[in-house]
Amino acid sequence: MPSTLASPDYKGFIEASLLRRMSKILRMSVACAKDCISQAGIEQPDAIIVGTGLGCLLDTEKFLNNVLTIEGMLPPTSFIQSTHNTMAGQISLSIGNHGYNMTHTQNSLSFEHALLDAMLLVDEGEQNVLIGAADEAIDFLSEVSIALHLNLQQKLTSGASFFMLSREKSVTSFACVKDTVALGLVTNAEKEISAFLQKNDIPSNGVDLLLFSGSSNGLNAQVNSLLEGLSLEKARQVDYLSLSGIYPTASAFAVHYAADKMKSDRFIKTALICNTLIHSNLGLTLLQSVEA
Amino acid sequence: MDNLKEDLKTQIIEQLNLEDITPADIADDAMLFSDDGLGLDSIDALELIVLLEKYHGIQVTNPDEGKVAFKSINTMADYIHARLG
Repeated sequence: MPSTLASPDYKGFIEASLLRRMSKILRMSVACAKDCISQAGIEQPDAIIVGTGLGCLLDTEKFLNNVLTIEGMLPPTSFIQSTHNTMAGQISLSIGNHGYNMTHTQNSLSFEHALLDAMLLVDEGEQNVLIGAADEAIDFLSEVSIALHLNLQQKLTSGASFFMLSREKSVTSFACVKDTVALGLVTNAEKEISAFLQKNDIPSNGVDLLLFSGSSNGLNAQVNSLLEGLSLEKARQVDYLSLSGIYPTASAFAVHYAADKMKSDRFIKTALICNTLIHSNLGLTLLQSVEA
Repeated sequence: MDNLKEDLKTQIIEQLNLEDITPADIADDAMLFSDDGLGLDSIDALELIVLLEKYHGIQVTNPDEGKVAFKSINTMADYIHARLG
């Protein structure tokens, strides 16, 4: 059964004149970002940072099909909107923001790189940074995965998550981002995770919620072995891909999920997100509850 | 001529993805680039140039011609007639 993407009434978030040109990923990103800004009660963020693994695939596919099928001049819209930084640009245009505007694309670690950038900006004195991630699935991805005989444990899908990273705690704060790392060419995930926790003074039994991305081969299996060594009840070990489906920046969904859990369950003080979506790439994000 | 105008309205709606607008909503003399009319913008102008080539085999190479031709459905139909002889 194909997954169903939740689609709010985008007209409530985006002007009709802009909406008519927007593909799925742009609609999701702009609506999600505007809702986030509204929930945070911030009028204008100081910066907008987006992570995306594969960018605006629908527009890219449309443009390439136009190149192949149309003789003569090509329609400009799909070309203009096929670049990876269209989301950050459209969010900026829709709220009239003139601040720092950046897009990070590092495959399955795009969100973690964007988050690092946001944390650096906050460290340098910015007050509120809008940080998010989005990716969209197109049929071609499924065709490729079948042709490559990829054994995907969950369905390929689309998703967008946005957060307001603020220097100061406020009544709207959900959680605190303690640390994040994005590591490539990793061979021993267990060792890296232990070092990450140690660096942040978190004992191995100090993690109250662990979110991980699947449990097949490679780094996933190592994370699995780590899970077995933790004294963490099963309900606090969640394969977030089973909730979000697979897309390169699904770890942003995991951050959202962890922050929601922290808000609703006061016993969850520390959450660790282990992103091993792609073999040898390891993204780690450590969240702490606002009270902690 | 009337058929051409109706075709143009359908082609514009499709090419520019004008959601919630039907050919009947576009008056022949409505200003395409005015907020009182369709409220089109500069990207739409490029799409209209592509539309003329795609559906009518006409290349707009002189920007001044476009300014006049793309005022309304009436002026677009007149331009197509003049170009096709």
